[in-house]
Amino acid sequence: MMEYRNLGRMIWMAVIAITVVGLVTIYSASAHNVRVTQSVFFQQLICVLAGFAIMFLLSYFDYRKFYDMAYVLYGGSIFLLIAVLVLGRDILGAKRWIEIGFFNFQPSEVAKLAVILVLGRYFCGQRPTHDFDIRGRKEILWRDLFVPLLLTIIPALLVFKQPDLGTAILIFGIFIVMLFISEIEYRYFFSFLSVCFGLVPFLWHFLKPYQKDRLLVFLNPNIDPLGAGYTIIQSKIAVGSGRLFGKGWQAGTQNQLNFLPERHTDFIFSVIAEEWGLVGTLFVIFCFFVLIMCCFNIAQQTKDKFGMMVAMGMVTILSLQVVINIGMVLGIFPIVGIPLPLVSYGRTSLLMFAFIFGFLLNLSKRRSVF
Amino acid sequence: MRLKIISLIIFFLFGLITYALVYTQALQGYYFYNLSKNNRIRVVHKEARRGRVFDRNGIVLADNRISFDVMVVPQEVKNRNDLFLFLGEVLGIDKQKLWKTFQQKTINSFAPVMVAENVPKEKAVVLEENKFLFPGLVIEVGFQRDYPFKEITAHVIGYVGKLSRSELNELKDYGYTVHNLIGKSGIEEFYNSYLKGETGGLQIEVNHRGEQVRVLGVKEPVKGQDIALTIDSRIQKAAMDLLVGRKGAMVVMDLDKGEILAMASSPSFDPNFFVEGNRVVSQYCADPQAPLLNRAIGGQYPPGSVFKVIMALCALENKRIQAQTTFTCPGYYQLGRRQFRCTHVHGAQNLTEAIAHSCNVYFYNTGLLLDVNLMNKFSRIYGLGTVTGIDLPYEARGSVPDAHQLRVKQGRSWSKGDTLNFSIGQGDVQVTPIQLVKMMASVARGGQDIHPHLIKSIGASEITDDTLPLEKPVRNQTYEIVRAGLRAAVGDYSGTAHVLDINGLSVFGKTGTAQSSGDQHTHAWFVGFIPNAKTKIAFCVFLEHGGSSYYACQLARDLLTYMQTENIL
Repeated sequence: MMEYRNLGRMIWMAVIAITVVGLVTIYSASAHNVRVTQSVFFQQLICVLAGFAIMFLLSYFDYRKFYDMAYVLYGGSIFLLIAVLVLGRDILGAKRWIEIGFFNFQPSEVAKLAVILVLGRYFCGQRPTHDFDIRGRKEILWRDLFVPLLLTIIPALLVFKQPDLGTAILIFGIFIVMLFISEIEYRYFFSFLSVCFGLVPFLWHFLKPYQKDRLLVFLNPNIDPLGAGYTIIQSKIAVGSGRLFGKGWQAGTQNQLNFLPERHTDFIFSVIAEEWGLVGTLFVIFCFFVLIMCCFNIAQQTKDKFGMMVAMGMVTILSLQVVINIGMVLGIFPIVGIPLPLVSYGRTSLLMFAFIFGFLLNLSKRRSVF
Repeated sequence: MRLKIISLIIFFLFGLITYALVYTQALQGYYFYNLSKNNRIRVVHKEARRGRVFDRNGIVLADNRISFDVMVVPQEVKNRNDLFLFLGEVLGIDKQKLWKTFQQKTINSFAPVMVAENVPKEKAVVLEENKFLFPGLVIEVGFQRDYPFKEITAHVIGYVGKLSRSELNELKDYGYTVHNLIGKSGIEEFYNSYLKGETGGLQIEVNHRGEQVRVLGVKEPVKGQDIALTIDSRIQKAAMDLLVGRKGAMVVMDLDKGEILAMASSPSFDPNFFVEGNRVVSQYCADPQAPLLNRAIGGQYPPGSVFKVIMALCALENKRIQAQTTFTCPGYYQLGRRQFRCTHVHGAQNLTEAIAHSCNVYFYNTGLLLDVNLMNKFSRIYGLGTVTGIDLPYEARGSVPDAHQLRVKQGRSWSKGDTLNFSIGQGDVQVTPIQLVKMMASVARGGQDIHPHLIKSIGASEITDDTLPLEKPVRNQTYEIVRAGLRAAVGDYSGTAHVLDINGLSVFGKTGTAQSSGDQHTHAWFVGFIPNAKTKIAFCVFLEHGGSSYYACQLARDLLTYMQTENIL
């Protein structure tokens, strides 16, 4: 177990390392991009600095205040999710952004956070269930499973409607992990999981054609090499061709010649892989691993249940995003459109993670609230 | 406890992606690296310009002219229907037909497909101007071989064509590709390695749309070397004009250097059809008149009386006869029960008269004084039965009879009758016109071995050829005697080639009227030389089934007169 003070320092170091890698890569990825100009680099740079400021300030802001604000934030994010469906700006056939001045705000990122906070508060408010619990099974199921499920499903469905399958799955993933930690009885948990898997074939009908295509080409990218499978093939070529030491910064041919779509956002990892090789990718993965383990340690050592639940939710979201994004780039996960934390271009996402690390830093300072 | 499980899952997931990374980047890295290279690098061939061919005066015989090919890049085509409708309209070809060729030739989506070759310039301009409306349409500018003299130089120059599959397999190791053109006959084939140059290419980096981003490497094609021939296109044209409508061949050679000034063969063909891939080509191949055959070097015919020159040399040199030796010609020669005929009743003839009048009986008698081995040997000394080594492909060897071969091939021994036939150049003697020119030149030069050739210079370097004495020296006196006979054939009123007695020229020569197998007309020959004119020449006129040698003499006369008026002789 590490000292709290050290944990905080490690988080700062890892976060700075990862954001710098991100900035350097965005610079390269936008250099000869046909879709975006190099201004994305400067936007991201400003956002990184703002994010550091938020992290620093939040580390001195009592996290318990969020306990009180959880439902308010939750309500606010539901409102924003509805607003985006009505007012949202249409980019590439999806309504995910609300324009606020020069800033494109992405409510689904806030929704992730709101769900974590509200579930954290909900689960710590329950009394632990014991063998001698006198409540009936129905009551237990209602309180321990269905109410939190409802709290999750509402924003998840709204996000799914945008459509943003990746974030919807992510929100659901957060719920499953936090449910697991909430000490629900194993039999309830696993029967719930099996019901979920049983429902998957039915959910297939609710997917958009392009989402179905993406899932199908995940199984075999060569069914449509110039269409839906194109991204996977080109991404794998980019990653593999980086080999051990990469082609050098701004020298990745897959990147610079526009073979890679979405390379400053969701596929930024393939640019890192192409230009810096295995050495670069392992460094990035190492940084993420250290970061996640630090966060995990903070969650583990927190005595406060609200803090622990929220921290675990944050660890979940961080791990899932890293693993799914990299897995997607490598072709071992379907393409679901999830950005790489702190690295992908995306200002809402970046600020949200700044919030997460600020929250965790504050948590690490408060060994005990009692 | 539950947190432990979560941390184990995190460990597992990170292990999984780390493993996947190592697998893709380290183990499969080389494979993907090559894929990324292929993704972005295309090689575009740039064909070298073939060397041109000139005649001795610098007139172009084989040239490169700019050609326009219409190509379509399948992956860039937006609206097929519109594109092919437009192409069909401009080119005047049925849209369905274009579409069919396009489909047949498509290999992969980025390789351009040629839908129409060699489009006229005006149409190419129209297409080029509208190119931006039809993505995927490319007008490629290339070079096409052009033979301005068409039929006139066809046999000498030959033609070029694309490599056939078997040729490609054979020549792959020498750097030939499907894109190369290769000489298929004549000079184009013989000097192909000088003419072809070196194919160049561009290594181009392309982006995800296949558009050129930058050029990575350039290998400029090396232009082939220009070649100058010894051919004089004026004489060549005159010779071909004289042969129009006839079958036969004419060869005019510089007596001193062995340079071929003209080599005509008729009927002829237009080599441009081969380059264009015209349908007429298959007609050429099937034509019983064999227009593709270069009769001057590839046709084998009995020399007839022209062979008497060798008979005279042989008999004189071996002292079986002398200049004064006289035989009487009653118009035939009786050998046992067979009668061997002469053209006329010549009466008493000495050697000079016998050559001048082409008396068969004289040479029957001479032949009987010699034996077949000696005649065979002398024939070979003067280059019969073997190639002259002229710089053209597919030269025929001809044949000279010998007793041994007769036994092997026909299963009978040499008879006196065979000797008589051999004596007057009939029977199994087969020669090519170029062999007789070479033989006649040797007689004119007093025993110098002359190498007929067509090449004058390759690039900037002159090609010269040394003449060497024949292997077995023949006395000068012998030549003088024979030359007197050859002169008499033209100069005397009774000479068989008196028609060639042109004012201001002293023509030497020998006629020949050779019987061919079957009932067809005889072959007509005249082979001669002019030793003391501005240009000393040896020449041959041959008419396949042309009848009497008189017709050959007439053509020779026309040719010489022409050369005289052109101030060549």
